[in-house]
Amino acid sequence: MKTQILKTVVLTFLFSCSIMLPSIAQTGHVVTGRVVDQTDQEPIPGVTILEKGTRNGAVTDMDGNYSITVSSGEAVLVFNFLQMTTQEVSVGGRNSINVELEENVGDLDEFVVIGYQSVRKRDLTGATAVVGTENTRSVTANSIGESLQGLAPGVTVRNPGGPGQDAQVEIRGVASFINASPLYVIDGMIADANVTINPNDVESIQILKDASAAAIYGSRAANGVIIVTTKQGQEGPARVTASAKFGIQQLPRGYEMMDNMQFAETQRRQFENSGLTPPASVTGNFDPNINTNWYDESTRLGNVQDYNVSISGGSSTSSYLISGSYFKNRGELIGNDFERAALRINSRTTKGRVTFGENIVLTNSVRNAPGMGNPFFDAYVNLPIIPVQSDRYITGSNPDGWGIGTPDAVTYANNPIALNAINSYRQEFAKIVGNAFIDVEIANWLTYRFNAGLETSFDHNQRLRRAGEWHFNQPAAPTNVIEDRSRYSSVLLEHTLNFQKEFGRHNLNGVVGYSEQHTKRNVLLGSRTDLQSFGGRYMETIGSATGEPFADGYIPQDFSIVGYLGRVNYTFDDRYLLTFTGRYDSDSRFGEAQRSRFFPSIAAGWRISDEAFFNSNFISDLKLRGSYGELGIVTVGSWDHIGFLNMNPRAIFGPDQSPYVGATQARLANPDLGWERRISQNYGFDATLLEGKISISAEYYNSLSQDVLVNLPVAFYLGNLGGEPAVNAASIRNRGLEIEATYRKLGGAFNWDLSANLTTINNRVEDVGNLGEGINYIQTGITRTQIGRSIGEWYVLKTDGIFQSQEEINNHQGPDGQLIQPHAQPGDIRYLDVNGDGEINQEDRTFVGSPWPTLQAGSQFNASYGRFTLNLQLMGVFGYSVMNGVRREIDSYQNTNFRRDINPWTPNNTNTSDPRLGVSVGDPGLIDNARLESDRWLEDASYVRLRNVELGYRLAPQVSERWGIQNARVFVSGQNLLTFTSYSGPDPDVVGNGILERGFDMGNWPANKIFSIGFQCEF
Amino acid sequence: MKNITKYIAISLTTACVLSCNPDLDRPNPNQPTVEVFWNNATDAEQGVNSIYSTFARGGFSRWMPMMFVLRSDEGYSGSPWSDLANAMGEFIQPDYNFEPVVDVWRDNYIGIFRANQVLDNVPEIDMDEELKARLLGEAQFLRGYFYYNLALLWGNVPLMLETSSPTDLPPTSQLPQVWEQIETDLLAAVAGLPVQHASSDDLGRATQGAARALLAKAYMQQRKYDQAEPHLQWLVNGEGAGVYDLTPGYRDNFLIHTENNIESVFEWQFAVNPTEVTDNDVDTPNHNYGTSISQFLAPPGIGWADGESRTWHIDEFLSEQTEDGERDPRLAVSLLYPFTDERGPDFTMIYGQTFTQRYGNSNQNRAWFRKFLNDHWKDEEGYRSPNNYRFIRYADVLLMYAETLNELGRTAEAYAHVDRVRQRVGLAPLSDVRPGLGQPQFLEQLKHERLVELLGEGHRWADLLRWGDLNDQLESRDPGFRNFEVGRHELLPIPQRDLDINPNLQQNPRW
Repeated sequence: MKTQILKTVVLTFLFSCSIMLPSIAQTGHVVTGRVVDQTDQEPIPGVTILEKGTRNGAVTDMDGNYSITVSSGEAVLVFNFLQMTTQEVSVGGRNSINVELEENVGDLDEFVVIGYQSVRKRDLTGATAVVGTENTRSVTANSIGESLQGLAPGVTVRNPGGPGQDAQVEIRGVASFINASPLYVIDGMIADANVTINPNDVESIQILKDASAAAIYGSRAANGVIIVTTKQGQEGPARVTASAKFGIQQLPRGYEMMDNMQFAETQRRQFENSGLTPPASVTGNFDPNINTNWYDESTRLGNVQDYNVSISGGSSTSSYLISGSYFKNRGELIGNDFERAALRINSRTTKGRVTFGENIVLTNSVRNAPGMGNPFFDAYVNLPIIPVQSDRYITGSNPDGWGIGTPDAVTYANNPIALNAINSYRQEFAKIVGNAFIDVEIANWLTYRFNAGLETSFDHNQRLRRAGEWHFNQPAAPTNVIEDRSRYSSVLLEHTLNFQKEFGRHNLNGVVGYSEQHTKRNVLLGSRTDLQSFGGRYMETIGSATGEPFADGYIPQDFSIVGYLGRVNYTFDDRYLLTFTGRYDSDSRFGEAQRSRFFPSIAAGWRISDEAFFNSNFISDLKLRGSYGELGIVTVGSWDHIGFLNMNPRAIFGPDQSPYVGATQARLANPDLGWERRISQNYGFDATLLEGKISISAEYYNSLSQDVLVNLPVAFYLGNLGGEPAVNAASIRNRGLEIEATYRKLGGAFNWDLSANLTTINNRVEDVGNLGEGINYIQTGITRTQIGRSIGEWYVLKTDGIFQSQEEINNHQGPDGQLIQPHAQPGDIRYLDVNGDGEINQEDRTFVGSPWPTLQAGSQFNASYGRFTLNLQLMGVFGYSVMNGVRREIDSYQNTNFRRDINPWTPNNTNTSDPRLGVSVGDPGLIDNARLESDRWLEDASYVRLRNVELGYRLAPQVSERWGIQNARVFVSGQNLLTFTSYSGPDPDVVGNGILERGFDMGNWPANKIFSIGFQCEF
Repeated sequence: MKNITKYIAISLTTACVLSCNPDLDRPNPNQPTVEVFWNNATDAEQGVNSIYSTFARGGFSRWMPMMFVLRSDEGYSGSPWSDLANAMGEFIQPDYNFEPVVDVWRDNYIGIFRANQVLDNVPEIDMDEELKARLLGEAQFLRGYFYYNLALLWGNVPLMLETSSPTDLPPTSQLPQVWEQIETDLLAAVAGLPVQHASSDDLGRATQGAARALLAKAYMQQRKYDQAEPHLQWLVNGEGAGVYDLTPGYRDNFLIHTENNIESVFEWQFAVNPTEVTDNDVDTPNHNYGTSISQFLAPPGIGWADGESRTWHIDEFLSEQTEDGERDPRLAVSLLYPFTDERGPDFTMIYGQTFTQRYGNSNQNRAWFRKFLNDHWKDEEGYRSPNNYRFIRYADVLLMYAETLNELGRTAEAYAHVDRVRQRVGLAPLSDVRPGLGQPQFLEQLKHERLVELLGEGHRWADLLRWGDLNDQLESRDPGFRNFEVGRHELLPIPQRDLDINPNLQQNPRW
């Protein structure tokens, strides 16, 4: 089946390419020759040779030989190869030209965008990671964030799985309880690079990690900055590139659940064990013909389609790039899909000393998903003896007869198929993100720039609830439609002056500027009950509904930030590097007293390899770096520092029972809210060894956040509602090592490079504020965030096996001889009485593990052999535990299907970790067995994953030229094919429940396996 | 050089024109700040309205009446949600943060927070003094009522008497202190509240009668019958006698078309909002101002049946016939069961179908509380029942007065009030059928009278507690009581979250 699809797709694709593209006959001057590596004189296959100013080209074969027919003897040839210096050679009437290409020594001369400025990579003093787009491009990802997984040290990405869902990206741990997301800057516009931005438009990604690198974004940079630069047109005639990718997508294996016979047998045993009569649904009324596999019914084969076309070109004074793209992801869960269409226009024009440019993208994204429920939970819990749909479930409120729990077959699980049919949620985002700028070269050392950025999004969400029921005993509710439309706009205005001056061996460059940004969202909402339906088809507009209307409108955010920024880089003799950066920001989201703050940083670098005393053949370049500085982050809403009256309450009075408006302060407020600050130190080195074959960077960082907002989980007796009030009280430290190394083997037929990165994050809470005498922790449901430990460590009861006999229960005694678990029976879980008071209660909770990995690693291998290329990406996350909330639900045994491999304890089956099977009503022993706050559900989630494999093949020029195309390449890839883990759930890469319960698996969408094929070409 | 000047000029012009130097004081267009509010009578009235709004929150409108009814020997929970069944009917609650229970605690304190805001701010408002006194009286009444609930359920609780601040760490107040505060609040409410509201638009607001009746309940729970007496006297023989009476039909107290009737001393007001999207009354104005309790108590196939009645008390109803030889009409009003219609399951209607049609031969030994339900006007339930919960009925007041008089040794005087309640449903006066009872015998009789008059209305728990009858001997009626430990299960565990946060709080004994 699968191979059939693949075959069809390949054939269709190749066929359509071949008929669309006419072949072009060649006449003119013929040049042949050989390209070799300058160092070892080995031939280089795969070098592209272009006739300058045309789209005529050729590629060297396995022996480095090429042949190209150029228009005349006056032509110029451009020789280009990965990691080699590009060479231009005039033909000058020759028919034979041999070329020696020189290796690029590392990539140190590459320019890196660091915010308001580009600097040579070799001059960097801060911790900046540059992510190779050859790696991000070869994975199939919904968003830029997702494509970064495993690629950069210090960057933790957790994959959300579902179509159109954003990845969770964290740089150097978590230092805030509210917001751990980095700041994204897209071509100079501060705007979230979420799923609405096409990862294929990206030319390069830089990640600013330490205070020195990020301080230019001052008050917003504390979680790190990801700078995204999109592609630009190059000088030359119009170049069209096109790519297409199609992939099929599958879920990894989930839990194996019982079928109808197994379930009926087990549930009969369960009731009999408890001395109860089993429900008729598994005895007299058991229907062997109903055997629903809810997982199969809720899932399907997913797919991904990704198409990109761009036209680019330019002259010496202007350039342009126009790209169009379409991405569609059909999720494996029914009803879940996402699509995005985007048009990007980037251009530059220079006249005299003035350059005008703009980068703009128009995107429209649509995401569909059922309005509620989670099949990664429901499909396991729902019973196999309930049909998806059947006439016997038809009632007035369930006209389509969706199969749901009944008093005779109790489950509260949703019927995912019914939910998908009844309850839908559609989100649309029409968005413009971009910037326009004017550069004025005032002097050759001084440039002024005005930059105006805009992110505006027109969002439209529609929820529909049609007639029907999707779970047992659903309360009656009318059909309805709820639509909201909102407009988000963020406007950035910046004036900067860049300077660059050399005085002998002194080099001074930098930027000073002013920046302001205004952000606002307004929302308009309408709804109406009682949808009309004709012939099974629903009218879906508010106007067509006939019941009660409702309208609402509000402005959830409206704020401004004004800042003054500056950076000075000073270099002496290329050996001593010094950077000062600072930003003074004011933010309307704070009260007047807290509104403004200065964020300074300093960094220094020493290129020790340039010192006279440094003499090594082994090390060709070595630079030591250090930085220190302060960053900020705003974690409050637009008006959080002021207490407000909530006018939503309604009191009912009078003979007509009418609602009267009530007003109350629902949410407590703290007028002293201020910035969260982060003081960070970074020490590192960059080295290139063996003439650039090996490059290594290493960093040690120690970042202390202060004035961290704690949303005090306030006591219920305060009567607070609508979110907990925040206090700038906590402090969190993140320390760690980051190492990144790359080895490049160039020359010969087989070229390859291997990169590896390692990250450690030691997250430690230093202070949680004054929570009362003796309290040094923040408690959530199952985690505790305590001073001296990491955020959100598991704080639960400890289990100690299973009671094998009544005697063991009797021997489990407290200090006064009382039974610690008086309700227990043989086969029940034994809990440790940690505080020794003779009973098991909340006082016995203790720390039993951490959701924080001790080590994260990634590795990438890129190779080319002749026309073949290979990209391999591995990642691993080690030493952390996940709370398996799904297993807790199904292993509670109550009102759920059972795992096929459960092995419940019985007096004759004692060698098991599954406790006895029974019905828990009135049986506290069984209830205790299923306690959520227990280490029974904690699992080691370490894993190693083959994140991506991509095999590419570049078509021989003879073949592709026949079709009039160049640089044609086909590839196949497999993503997330293999995962090695002992975690029992479908995927250990869990996004979790917010920052404080980061490892809580509540039915996480597992990482998809994607098999794709694609084609790209130029013409 | 000239060029440079030109470019500087261009740069400066752009820089000047395109900066707006924004004002960083950004007003909130959605809500007024605390500073500008609390200025006039409208603000004061809206502040008070928000306290009433609390009754529609889930902790009140769903869980609290269920807790009072199901934890007593009247009912239990057979919910397949076993944590709920155990907490509501079996006295098993291993998780002190168990949500339905904590919701009751939290929503009472949300009401207290709202009342405290009114009590802190309204006295300073320049407004009509009479209206101000009334509004403050309402806030005082409601705060007293919230603490009354907390006293009955948790006993020893923190007393929040001013607008909360995030760092408040109050100590546990022992039960006597809590009662003292309830008395203070309700006495202030008695002083501030009118006997009746002038405008019918205010129907449903607390009155002096409500405050006196609740105050009497508070005194009686402490066995301060002498202090309860004058307030009950006011209600029965004093000024209250001109305001309250029993409705002619017993069932009028449980129907949606006869709300706020002459028998109503205080009731929670509910209405349907068909477009609602949440039970949380601060999320949006479009919230649920009905109650979902009918969905939770309605029989299977209609509601969740998360709470249902025991059946031992059916015999109490059947033990005495009316003077016309009929069955006590209160039985059919109180319970849905196969014999709600005396002719049996083929005639008893369960939401538009006969019992037999709906259940066949099953469920023959089950009964469901009917007073909160809507089967008198529709054949389904949902989360949006408009059926008001009559918390204090005049019949309850009459029986309270009788109990008080009996406790004060005035048994003979007490008869008349019991007779009123009995005669409304056609029973012979007690003074005829059981004249001359001694004090303990009269109390025993009153226990029966209260059971059959008030079944399923949420008073039984307080009654058993007051009478000292909460113990494991109730197991014969209600097997859930096999787990009841005297000295422990009278009170609920204080939510662990509050203990975790506030070291000044103590857990209740033996939890």
